[in-house]
Amino acid sequence: MTGRIRRLAGFLLALFVLQALGAAYWQVWMGPRLAQDPRNPRLLLAEERVERGALLDRNLLPLARTRMEARRAVREYPTGSLFAHLVGYRHPRLGKAGLEAALDGILLGAAERTPWEEWRDRALGRRPRGFDVVLTVDQEIQKAAAQVLEGRRGAVVVLDPRDGALLAMASAPSFDPNQLERDWAVLRRDPTSPLLNRATHGLYPPGSTFKVVTMAAALSRKAAKPDTRFFCPGFVLVRGRPILDFGGQAHGPITLREALVWSCNVVFVHVGLRVGGASLREFAAAFGLGTSPDFELPSEAGHLPDPEEVAGDGVAQLSFGQGSLLVTPLQMALLTAVVARGGVRLRPYVVAQVRAGDGQVVERYRPKPGERILVEEVAGSLRDTMVEVVARGTGRAAALPGVAVAGKTGTATAPGGAPHAWFIGFAPAERPRVVVAVVVERGGTGGQVAAPMAREVLRRALERVR
Amino acid sequence: MVRTRMVDPVLYGASLALSLGGFLMVYAVRHPGDSPGPVGYGVLVLLAVPALHVALVRRGFRGDGLLLPVTQTLVGLGLVELYRLQPGSLVRQATWALLGLGGGWVAYCAARAVDRLSRYRYLYALSALVLLVSALVFGVERGGSRQWLDLGFASFQPSEVVKVCLVLFLASYLAEHHRLLALRPPQEVERRILLPVAAVLGASLLILTVQRDLGGALLYLSIVLGMVYVGTGRVEYVAAGALAFAAGAGVCAVLFPHVRIRLEVWVDPWRDLAGSGYQLGQALFALASGGLAGTGLGLGYPELIPAVHTDLVFAAIGEELGYAGALGVILLYMILVVRGFRIALRARRAFSRLLAAGVSLVLAAQTLLILGGSLRLVPLTGIPMPFVSYGGSAMVSNFVLLGLLMGISHHEEVPHGRRT
Repeated sequence: MTGRIRRLAGFLLALFVLQALGAAYWQVWMGPRLAQDPRNPRLLLAEERVERGALLDRNLLPLARTRMEARRAVREYPTGSLFAHLVGYRHPRLGKAGLEAALDGILLGAAERTPWEEWRDRALGRRPRGFDVVLTVDQEIQKAAAQVLEGRRGAVVVLDPRDGALLAMASAPSFDPNQLERDWAVLRRDPTSPLLNRATHGLYPPGSTFKVVTMAAALSRKAAKPDTRFFCPGFVLVRGRPILDFGGQAHGPITLREALVWSCNVVFVHVGLRVGGASLREFAAAFGLGTSPDFELPSEAGHLPDPEEVAGDGVAQLSFGQGSLLVTPLQMALLTAVVARGGVRLRPYVVAQVRAGDGQVVERYRPKPGERILVEEVAGSLRDTMVEVVARGTGRAAALPGVAVAGKTGTATAPGGAPHAWFIGFAPAERPRVVVAVVVERGGTGGQVAAPMAREVLRRALERVR
Repeated sequence: MVRTRMVDPVLYGASLALSLGGFLMVYAVRHPGDSPGPVGYGVLVLLAVPALHVALVRRGFRGDGLLLPVTQTLVGLGLVELYRLQPGSLVRQATWALLGLGGGWVAYCAARAVDRLSRYRYLYALSALVLLVSALVFGVERGGSRQWLDLGFASFQPSEVVKVCLVLFLASYLAEHHRLLALRPPQEVERRILLPVAAVLGASLLILTVQRDLGGALLYLSIVLGMVYVGTGRVEYVAAGALAFAAGAGVCAVLFPHVRIRLEVWVDPWRDLAGSGYQLGQALFALASGGLAGTGLGLGYPELIPAVHTDLVFAAIGEELGYAGALGVILLYMILVVRGFRIALRARRAFSRLLAAGVSLVLAAQTLLILGGSLRLVPLTGIPMPFVSYGGSAMVSNFVLLGLLMGISHHEEVPHGRRT
């Protein structure tokens, strides 16, 4: 019996060793992978042990903050739907979006704490606090942007062209991040996609606003001068099919400058053919189209037509911003900022400061020197022409008393409905402080719908930005 | 024994220090400012273990000196974990531990009269049978299995008593018949002699199907097969029993969805992670999040695991104390089992040997089944982790087993130089 007892004991001990190996497999070998598995609820719960930092506008008004409610941290958004898309939301079950997602690490305090520090904090009943983030946006400008979008579908982006600071970013329709749980099912089913940030993720053909790029390319490549004369019979035949001017109007003999002021498609088709598809595409890329901007919020890259598509007379549609070209409102605002900034492309930013809980500034954003993509002379010609657009052309509805506004309208046709209304512009023209891009989905013409909206936003923004 | 006396205060002291440290950490992190009363009571109960040791030594105890301190460490760990996972039950569980010590004392004294203990063989079998049937008839369902008897003031798990009766019965039965069973070919062994063993095997299958207690069935099966092997050395009985069980379990998996789900979750817990795989999935996440050193007591999220304080304490230990803690627990059980088998090897009488081996086997099998279940080595069952899991019946019955073991080691030790 002794031998059998020994063998049974040995067998059981071997099984114990197997358990030790099994524990090593799950805890050491699989540990890191499984611990970081998105299905592991511990990841979200760990965040609740840190008091998430607040998001503030440039005047330190809170846009998102954490409040304690019966020993539970509740994230609240004092401005409701106003900043819903930019600030986003953070919900334990529905996840994160917007800056709440993009700045997660900073808001949680980023720095990893050792188990000992965590233990000590817990023992002393301390909840470590993440960093507060001061944004560049201004609540009043945001209100102006949201007001003009009221009842429409579209987006408004407002930038400071001097350093690339985002002043406002609104998308409509919006939602209330405080009521996300209640509204979630409805929001997800809504065909107007209220959860979509149209400023960064809405893709539209830019229409005539793209003529700024075509003209920039023509002037830079010396394919035409502002005074170069063209003739507009009201249409142009490309590959046997006529391209008409908006409303079928014939402008007759007309200079390039006047063609931008009155948004003549025919002239820009000719200009595009002179510049060539490859060059025009190159300029569009230099202006930032077709790539996601380097920005705190992730955004769409849009679409630049393939080189084969714009070869030869294929460039015609691109010349006036149609065809397969797709852009986001943020990209159009950045494009406008290049003209406003005298030909320099800046990196946009929205995080001004990172602060500790006691208000001490931990990190401050330093604008990086931009990249010159247009010579000053070309940028100046564009600016002067855009001032004419608002002074006496298609963009008259954007004019402000006592301030020179530069701008360009766009009426982008899209299959299956009314055109998208665009307006891009900046003011004051001589020393620009504010850039604006407005798009209204299926809104009508840019001059009638988008230009007055841009005027209102510019007016309010110029009061706020000195 | 001079050796024991020098080392004992160190063992009990170290064990107590571990428990105290654990209580302190959990108190500081989870319940700062709450009344420390329950903790004080828990510590007092733990202090009863060295007190029992002193009482034993005064009466000339010369048995195994490691069993008690190791058990104390496990009980202490169990109380600390319960304080962390379900503090409201700490006092209740500590009281059960105290009752367990009493039960262990009784068993220890009973083991003194080994010959008389082996005489009540059919009383054990009968009580096991009555308890099983009463569980089937009067049992209340809890967590999908009908293995609880509600006594009004407390509920009690008959299977915990059955397991003790089973070991006693088999030890006694095999001690009488083992030579016969070991030497004759199976066809010549009278049916009457094999019948009781086969009956136990059949009962375990019945438990699996009617009581839905896969863990209990596996436990009884391993006790029967292990003890038959030790008693007779007939591998063919063991193999036949294992095969019969496997076939029965296979049929059950086809017939009963609850058995099938258990097996499916075991094969792939990730497929239905939100549903049937939730408990095991959370346990594995807990173990993984613990890593090598653990999150620290009170800093993990073991409460995410359903029934963590009864079924998956090991996962909670793994999360908060890390692989280091898990390995420590495995080592403690290994010490218990090794010492148990050592006692079996040193015992003189066949009954004592079989009993000590059987008791060690029960302790080992319970541990292996629940640890293996948490680690997905075997299907997860509701077997309590000996001395650690929350549950009074298991606590008392395991202390009874420990008492038997200590009694055998005290009375049946082969004097030096006369080992067989």
